[in-house]
Amino acid sequence: MTALLEVRGLTKRYLGLTAVDDVSLEVEAGAVLGLIGPNGSGKSTIVDCISGFQPANAGRWLLDGHELTGLPPHRIARAGLTRTFQAVRAYDELTLLQNLCVAAQESDGVGWLQALGRGSRLRRAEAGAEARGRDLLATVGLSEYAEAPAAILSYGQRKLLAIAASMMARPRLVVLDEPVAGVNPTMIRRIEQAIHKLNTEGVTLVIVEHNVDFIMSLCRRVIVLDAGRKIAEGPPALIRSDPGVLAAYLGQTRAAQLGPGLR
Amino acid sequence: MTAGWLRAVAVVLGVAALFAIPRVTGNEYVLALGVSFATFAVLSGGLNLVYGYTGLLSFAQVGFFGIGGYTAALLVTERGWSLWAGAAAGGVLAALVGLVVGYSSLRLSRHAFAIVSLSFALLCLIVARDWVSLTRGAMGIPGLPIPSMDLPGGLRWRLAQPADFYYLLMGFAVVAQAAIYLVVSSRLGRAMRAIKWNEPLAQSQGINPLSYKLLAIALSALLAGIVGGFFVFYLTIVDPSIFDFYYTETMLIMVIIGGPGSFWSVLAASAVLSALPDLLRFTTDLRMVLYGAVLIAAMLFFPGGVGGWLRRRRMRRWRRSGLAAR
Repeated sequence: MTALLEVRGLTKRYLGLTAVDDVSLEVEAGAVLGLIGPNGSGKSTIVDCISGFQPANAGRWLLDGHELTGLPPHRIARAGLTRTFQAVRAYDELTLLQNLCVAAQESDGVGWLQALGRGSRLRRAEAGAEARGRDLLATVGLSEYAEAPAAILSYGQRKLLAIAASMMARPRLVVLDEPVAGVNPTMIRRIEQAIHKLNTEGVTLVIVEHNVDFIMSLCRRVIVLDAGRKIAEGPPALIRSDPGVLAAYLGQTRAAQLGPGLR
Repeated sequence: MTAGWLRAVAVVLGVAALFAIPRVTGNEYVLALGVSFATFAVLSGGLNLVYGYTGLLSFAQVGFFGIGGYTAALLVTERGWSLWAGAAAGGVLAALVGLVVGYSSLRLSRHAFAIVSLSFALLCLIVARDWVSLTRGAMGIPGLPIPSMDLPGGLRWRLAQPADFYYLLMGFAVVAQAAIYLVVSSRLGRAMRAIKWNEPLAQSQGINPLSYKLLAIALSALLAGIVGGFFVFYLTIVDPSIFDFYYTETMLIMVIIGGPGSFWSVLAASAVLSALPDLLRFTTDLRMVLYGAVLIAAMLFFPGGVGGWLRRRRMRRWRRSGLAAR
């Protein structure tokens, strides 16, 4: 079985600092991969590189065999790899439904002149986007806000909207950058359920998070980063007792004192 | 549906009223105000597309305006082109120059674009003044002939009266506003606003910011170039003062007071601010002082322009609707 996303030897240096050091990873179609690690371990840099927002110094990445290396962000998104942002972003003055329709408009094959002419092709495409938008709003539990401007949403609701928007163009793979950072526990449950539902509907996901419980309940495979390197990979149960991982999170001595039984 | 119909009726009545004015009054002063409004409406509408909708602060509009003016004047006087063709050529040339200015600077950042657009406008002035063999330098090209234009149906229209130029510029202003409205009300306008509000988010959704920015710049330059071509024949002269900062200042004020990104508010501000300096003519001494006072008051009470104030009111109503997150 070949991987949907394949990253080989990704390296990113800022002046003297190597933020990501020769990281390779694979994501199977239909999987939910967790990417965890202490602050500054390079998680977000990996996301920024493979989504085209930061140029990488070395490495290649392919989506379903198609080379994405070096493409600008909009080309990578159109190729089927979308992402959300750590700091939530939404178009405040647009309604939720419009927020979602914008996210689909570059992938429906309707050109500029057709968009200006407002013919039947445009109407069909926009109606399709609206229907999909309403479905996704129902999935993330924001249906009642469909016609409201995004500005009135709470922080957690905006995270849900961002997740829905990242799904609009029917991407092959979605990278969620800290989907529950700074969100209250009730909302975390809702975000978890939404992600789980989207995954069962066939979306492949990579989740970058600090919240280990959240990662452990959603992912069957986890990659741990420390200081830009991959230090462990495997199912959550195994990762939890990995001495290298404990050392990265707690420091060498403390990890040795606690032993492998730590939760 | 009803609101849309009401608006359509209001627009048709408004346009009809504008075209009826020369029949009601032959007053040259009123017609001159109308020409000024029509010209500035095209310039500020284009700037609103670039700055208000796409978020690119631009000082280049006046350059496109002047390029259109010089191109039309030279092609008509030296090559014997008709004013239609001359103004169209001026618009196309301005759009091409706009694409070059935009493409070269937008690859860096939107701040780079603001600086380059300002340098470009200043450069236009210098070229017009110093490239004497082409532009005749500071003297400019005076005594532009009374143009005549072929109309569909084999008629010839000789633009000899002030009312003729009123019809020409007002007619083009209506066409230009319709073109701008067509873009901003379509999903192209939606993408432009998305780029203005949050460029990385737009990129992550497959939107290519550069192509939308270039579209906005090229369309605004095309319209500014054409109106520049018409306007210099109304003045009967084109000289380096066509690149004067006065035009930039006036259209910026119109967009900012009207509210960047609000089509109707900017159009209304263009009308009010075209007439305001003349309405204040009852006191010659204090005229510009009062004009300044009105601008300051507008900025104090409508910091986001009139359009921004209307949008904030709408947003506040939503916040109070009970749907808002607690």
